[in-house]
Amino acid sequence: MEYLFLILKVIIFIGLAPLLSGIITRIKNNLRFRKGPGIWQPYFNLFKLFRKDEVVSEQASWIFRSAPYIVFAATLTALMLVPALTAWPLPIFTGDFLTIIFLLSLGRFFLALAGLDPAATFGGMGSSREMFIASFVEPVVILAIFAVSLTAETTNLAIIAAFKAMHPATVLAAGALLLVTLAETSRIPIDNQETHLELTMIHEALILEYSGRSLGLLELAAYMKQILFFSLISLIVFPGWNDLASFLLKWLALGVIVAVVEISLAKMRLFRAVDWLSFAGILAIMAIMTLILGV
Amino acid sequence: MEKFLTDLETNYKLKSIKQLKNHDNEFYVEVAAAQFNAYCLALHKTFISTVMTMFAEEQKDHFIIYCGFAAEKMAAWIFVVLKVDKNKPEFPSIARQIYAANLFEREMREMFGLEPTGNPDGRRLRLHDEVWPEGNFPLRKDFGKEKDKALGEYRFSKVDGEGIFEVPVGPVHAGIIGPGHFRFSVAGEPIINLEIRLGFTHRGIEKLLEGKTVNEAVKLSEAVSGVSSVAHSWAFCQAAEKICGIKVPRSANYTRAIYLELERMYNHLAAIGGIALDVGFSQPAALAAIIKEALHQLNEKLTGSRFLKGTNVIGGAAKKISSEEEKLIWGTFSSLAKDFAELKEMLSGSVSFLDRVDTTGWLRKKSAEDFGVLGLSGRASGINFDLRQGFMPPYDDLDFKIATATTGDVLARLNLRLEEFAASISIIKKLLNSLSAETILAAKIENRAGFGLGVVEGARGPVLYWVSLNKSGKIERCKIVDPSFRSWQGLSYAVLDNIIPDFPVCNKSFDLSYAGNDL
Repeated sequence: MEYLFLILKVIIFIGLAPLLSGIITRIKNNLRFRKGPGIWQPYFNLFKLFRKDEVVSEQASWIFRSAPYIVFAATLTALMLVPALTAWPLPIFTGDFLTIIFLLSLGRFFLALAGLDPAATFGGMGSSREMFIASFVEPVVILAIFAVSLTAETTNLAIIAAFKAMHPATVLAAGALLLVTLAETSRIPIDNQETHLELTMIHEALILEYSGRSLGLLELAAYMKQILFFSLISLIVFPGWNDLASFLLKWLALGVIVAVVEISLAKMRLFRAVDWLSFAGILAIMAIMTLILGV
Repeated sequence: MEKFLTDLETNYKLKSIKQLKNHDNEFYVEVAAAQFNAYCLALHKTFISTVMTMFAEEQKDHFIIYCGFAAEKMAAWIFVVLKVDKNKPEFPSIARQIYAANLFEREMREMFGLEPTGNPDGRRLRLHDEVWPEGNFPLRKDFGKEKDKALGEYRFSKVDGEGIFEVPVGPVHAGIIGPGHFRFSVAGEPIINLEIRLGFTHRGIEKLLEGKTVNEAVKLSEAVSGVSSVAHSWAFCQAAEKICGIKVPRSANYTRAIYLELERMYNHLAAIGGIALDVGFSQPAALAAIIKEALHQLNEKLTGSRFLKGTNVIGGAAKKISSEEEKLIWGTFSSLAKDFAELKEMLSGSVSFLDRVDTTGWLRKKSAEDFGVLGLSGRASGINFDLRQGFMPPYDDLDFKIATATTGDVLARLNLRLEEFAASISIIKKLLNSLSAETILAAKIENRAGFGLGVVEGARGPVLYWVSLNKSGKIERCKIVDPSFRSWQGLSYAVLDNIIPDFPVCNKSFDLSYAGNDL
């Protein structure tokens, strides 16, 4: 029965992940006086990509071919560990929040290699930028969740989620996570999903050489990663509200926030991204300080 | 002999062979090859003018090289003329003294096979070595059958050193933009060197123009650079009208100026929106697109063309602006005023946006002068040259201020565009107020042989057409200079020390034309 729930949960997550992106895009477009594509567009894109042939560089090795599957599998496993919708992550305890971060890093590692692999112009640039950003993102995520786990006195996310007490520290931690989420989902002000300018890309430059099913998998993994981060924030700020209806509401609320941030800011200069992420880091440290000082 | 030329020659101890005054404000001074460099340099220093145009023309038994300078104070054009023997097709290069001549000299070498002796750069510009065999010079009169000779290879300048990478970009890009190849040498993200290779849209316009009648040529000139069709066709018409002695009515010039300013407006707005979009600031970019679209629709209602084609004809303007159309312009302007104010507010009120454009893509005044960067990008770097001041007829009647800046960064070019957009609105309003019911077409249009220069300050800068007509009224030679031709080099210097992700916004702030450069 528990396994059934788990499978159902993952299906719901994967099924809704593209929709979340579609809705954010729609809100953004409406805010800037445009109609924009429908909210179902990401599904059409995925459907199109999964039916298409792939073009793979002759220089590419097995890393390039296998990276999409590794990224997808890693994200999927990480998603299973998030105790949203069900109070338990997996039927048996197999990992805590650090596992999620490591799984995502595993995907990122292979994607960065895959960017270098086909020896194309922009992939290497993308890899170097992605790792540069990641070196600031990962510590912040760890610190933020660490602050939350201090309140519940465990790193097991299931228990954290069940721990129904809001604390100033958790709000600060959630703020830090939100700033980082914009970087992790390659959104403005760190990256720009919509750009066609190869020279400015970070995540898009990495996957520029991919096509067809591989690209589809990578895009789906990106949608899943987005919903994973949104769920983490939701769990931390509003622990306990764990049913599907409240999650839909929480995802939507976060989506609106992200859309508004995206259209009201210009993308930062690449090296200024450090400022943004250090700010997130300071928020996370403040969260821990509040706990230690017992505010 | 003109007094200023006598003074110049005594001051610099120069000697000329022959002088000629043509159409009130064009002076041609023929010199010997040994005097060519010194004479050009003297004019360059005396009138603080860059090489405005430099080109060759083929005659029966010799080539003629013209090197044109602008004398701003006198509103005159001075050409140094050099005859080159066909058996020995070479001339002394002036690129080492006046760097702005470099591109023109390389152009003459590939188009006419005239060797600029002493020019440091032996590479081709537009006729790419990989597809265009050696020894074929398209602008020579005997060009026709391609001589089958060896193909070559282009050499990019190379930066060596530990950790230096080359990033080749283009000519095929991800967006809908013109084709150009950009070769970056980078140390990590900072740009150490940028070499821009263009010529992918070379259509041989100057060759196509040969043998055309002036009326056919007007249509062709509109297609040289699609977003500057008014500037180009007006410059051509001006040259042809000068030669044929056609008196253009005042109203026609006013009408032309109205269209020119409308062209400037949509171009500037495209660049402003592009700058915002290239730093991911999408809301103002969308607003700019809305205003731009309103202008294109206005253009279509006025002329039947969203890009204002077909407005200029030899002898005047193609169509009168009726009183209903006048109302339409006033109406559009008043409705876009609110949007434009909001756009300005959005851009200048955003810290994150200003952080991206301030101090980015800095073009020093000295570099701009060396490359001969004029027009909007030049004015942003402190070169206050604008053909509308003194060189173009209808603007003499108007009282308006040229917007200038000194910092030469993306922000300066953005602010200039915003100012010029507002200035264009007020210029058009003044022109509309003084439009009269008189005719817009010259009464007498006839063909004459001769040569002359037409100049217009387009949205990007000065557009120059030097035209020579033969007895049957057909074009013998037509030299086109689009401002983008020299400004591309300015861009390659402005991006140095910036990081690669900032290149697109630098590029957009210059907003140069590929087609105008490639001809």
